[in-house]
Amino acid sequence: MPATILLAISLGDFIWLVIALFIMFSALSGVVLSLTWLERKVLGRLQLRLGPTRTGPMGLMQPVADALKLILKEDIIPASSEKALFWVAPIIVVISAFMIWVTIPGTQNAVIQNLDLGLFYIIAFSVVGILGLVLAGWGSANKYGTLGGLRAAAQLISYEIPIIMVAISMAMLAQSLDLREIVNGQDDYIYFLIQPLGLALFFIAGLAEVGRTPFDIYFAESEIVGGPFVEYSGAHWSVFFLAEYINTFAIAALTVILFFGGWSGPGLTGDWGIIYFLLKVYLVIMVIFWIRGTFPRLRIDQLMAFAWKVMVPMSFLTIVMTAVYQFYGWPAWSLTAMSTTGLVVVGIVIYKKMTAPSKLVAETRSRRAALEAQRRLPATGGGD
Amino acid sequence: MFNSLKGLVVTLVSTMNGLRAPVTRQYPDSGNLLGKRDEPTPVKDRFMGFPALTWDDEVGEPFCTSCMVCIRGCPTQCMTSVMKDNPLHEQEKSSRRKIVDSFEINLNRCILCGICVEVCNFDAIVMSHEHEMSTSNRNGDRLDLPALLEIGFKFQKDTDWIPPTKRVKVPKGGAAEESKTPAEAESP
Amino acid sequence: MTQTSENIVPNAEPVEMLLNMGPQHPSTHGVFRMVLWVDGEKIVDVVPHIGYLHRGSEKLCEGEQYNQVITLFDRMDYIANFNNEHVYVRAVEKLMGMEVSERSEYIRVILCELNRIASHMLFIATMGLDAGAMTPSMFCFRGRERIQGLFESVSGARMMHNYFRIGGLKEDVPDDFVAQVREVLELVKKDTEESDKLLSFNEIFLARLKNIAVMSAEDAIDYGLTGPCLRASGVDYDVRKAAPYSVYDRFDFDVPIGLDGDCWDRYYLRVQEVYQSIRIVEQALDQLPDGEVTSSLGRRLLRPPAGEVYVRGENPRGEIGVYLNSDGSDKPYRIKVRPPSFCNLSALRQMLKDSWIADSVVILGALDIVLGEVDR
Repeated sequence: MPATILLAISLGDFIWLVIALFIMFSALSGVVLSLTWLERKVLGRLQLRLGPTRTGPMGLMQPVADALKLILKEDIIPASSEKALFWVAPIIVVISAFMIWVTIPGTQNAVIQNLDLGLFYIIAFSVVGILGLVLAGWGSANKYGTLGGLRAAAQLISYEIPIIMVAISMAMLAQSLDLREIVNGQDDYIYFLIQPLGLALFFIAGLAEVGRTPFDIYFAESEIVGGPFVEYSGAHWSVFFLAEYINTFAIAALTVILFFGGWSGPGLTGDWGIIYFLLKVYLVIMVIFWIRGTFPRLRIDQLMAFAWKVMVPMSFLTIVMTAVYQFYGWPAWSLTAMSTTGLVVVGIVIYKKMTAPSKLVAETRSRRAALEAQRRLPATGGGD
Repeated sequence: MFNSLKGLVVTLVSTMNGLRAPVTRQYPDSGNLLGKRDEPTPVKDRFMGFPALTWDDEVGEPFCTSCMVCIRGCPTQCMTSVMKDNPLHEQEKSSRRKIVDSFEINLNRCILCGICVEVCNFDAIVMSHEHEMSTSNRNGDRLDLPALLEIGFKFQKDTDWIPPTKRVKVPKGGAAEESKTPAEAESP
Repeated sequence: MTQTSENIVPNAEPVEMLLNMGPQHPSTHGVFRMVLWVDGEKIVDVVPHIGYLHRGSEKLCEGEQYNQVITLFDRMDYIANFNNEHVYVRAVEKLMGMEVSERSEYIRVILCELNRIASHMLFIATMGLDAGAMTPSMFCFRGRERIQGLFESVSGARMMHNYFRIGGLKEDVPDDFVAQVREVLELVKKDTEESDKLLSFNEIFLARLKNIAVMSAEDAIDYGLTGPCLRASGVDYDVRKAAPYSVYDRFDFDVPIGLDGDCWDRYYLRVQEVYQSIRIVEQALDQLPDGEVTSSLGRRLLRPPAGEVYVRGENPRGEIGVYLNSDGSDKPYRIKVRPPSFCNLSALRQMLKDSWIADSVVILGALDIVLGEVDR
């Protein structure tokens, strides 16, 4: 926030701002605690396990226990690391994660500082976190960390573009970059209905942006053992952890705001809409966890190819579609039709790309079947 | 694409199953801090835990005569024993002329192979169901005679143990005769 | 250890980075160490280091009596214990010219095939984990737990069984063995199908595994690959068919083979082998005869005649061979094991060259090594 604005506001406003920021910090920390518990429990049940059970009823106190343990743990700083960068990297990551939330509205009034260029601000700040990851990877003087940091840079910047493009097309629909206006613009119909392609692109790019499976490439545990975080422990690591979950929450919240009408819903008016908002956000997060429990991980070259060959062109397409729709003032269903067509095209492209090996497999199987049929002709000595 | 979607369905179904009946169980007890239910870890009848010595209730002495067969058969040399003249034999209460004086098993060396039980001629050693025996001192797993007899006695009581040589041979499957393990003979 | 790029890659361009993978890496399946020379994300060369789990098993065998050696064989390939015991007791039986009762042969085959299923389930689980999918591993471990529970009720131990004896078995199986196995088989089939549906044809999984580390049939034979790694390259060679031992010639089963010889073939072949093993077990249960299983030798100390034998068998990982040299005493003079994992590992360098760092874990995973057997 520029200094001139700070000077212009009164003392009362300033105190209110500090209190609001404090409330936001606490609320987000609470959200992170709930998310860690939810993720472990959901994944546990998905894998027929119990998840945490020891701490409190249903293991509800597990996140608190985790947090305590992480804070009390020794914070190891490698001797050969770049100390300053090692220190500052997690702070960059977590501050950029928190800063996004300054302008994300929970309801019409539940927002710290609504900005007219809210969407622009969010996109601008989400890029800053990448710097932290690269610094963390490089500063920890670990080869896995360096690889992870560079992977993070490549991945996050590539997937930033589709996110920006889709966000722009949504802003064009709402005729505003103000998130409140975008939600208010969905009074007649939620944007998911007229821009399903946008949702698909935004959600996939969002997954990549927060490094969720199948795009958890920059900290892939089974390959580069945690990537940029490999040398971090204790409080430093927990800060990364915090940022990761806040970002997940932010992406889910943005998905809800841009496509599912934010806090609007039948029955509840005014600030009670936050219930709808949280409900929708948690549902989106559940889908993210569900995907995490199902998919393997892509490889870095496949990931980049997917970003630049599918996501980026398609996200440009959404802008073109929205522009045409806005310019000629066509009815809403026309955009739905166009977007759905686009989605189908994407589906076919992905299907073609991804099933190339699958086809190969089918071919192999038929060849194998033929071969086995051939082999079976001379009867191999059966049972008695 | 379609296979991935199919995978999503599979995980959704498994979530439902996981909510209904998770496969894992709490170790070593179930419940949480509010309500704990103690359940012993279930083991099968033939489960081979750490070896222990048996107690002859009729006479009131161990079965073991310290004949060293098990010690020679042990692949890891984890046992030692010392023999003595049996005082009860002199009083004509026991048929055993020699009896075990001291016996030690280093459970850290033991690999639970069961060879000692197999070679024993006096029904003196058993593979008990005891397996959760971690201690925090260095020599905590070197068990001496009283400790071994205690574990063995617990096993005898728990499974209604009958000495293998005194078991009734149950004819099974025509000519085959097979001695049954104690637990098996008793359990339904 | 000082290694420069010159003595690993002669006349190579200077490479950027030496990446030490293992022995404490989560995806090297134990204490295996690969020194990777990477150019960005591409692997230029690899030097594998083994020996972190060396326990001198072969030398230890020389100090143990014949029936004590079985416990050591349990601990070589600790994922497929029964198969290892089987090949050793067959070696001694061949040396002594001993006949084994029908019933014990059948029970051995049933347990070995169940162990093969358990081993392959572990493979499917770790393959999923290497590729980043967590859930299939849980499904597979559920099936594996069931099989291990069955083993516990038969032999008394979940992994280190020490159940096969020279000339028979330690004791007969429990009365409800057949019913138990049938029940477990049904459940295991379901578990396998579930993880198969979830993982095998997932597009991302296919993209990760298809056309990775392709081995031609000639290369595979030249490197001495055996087992699923060889059959994935399209060579129809299985010791159970090529030189039937025990009672394997009485069962009707297929030997699945792959055609492309890539990682996905190596993976899917094992999935199919699970179904084939289930077929074998079902047939063996139907044919299971009555009779004595314990050896006529009883508990006597074995002194096989002086001489030497070589016996081979099909382990889940490939062909295992046991060379046994006896001098007529109660302890083997020399035992040499041909471990399938170790021989399969020799192809690692060719497979890893010019692949991505992310591929290295799936390639190593698809080889399915067990370090206890590699290092012995």
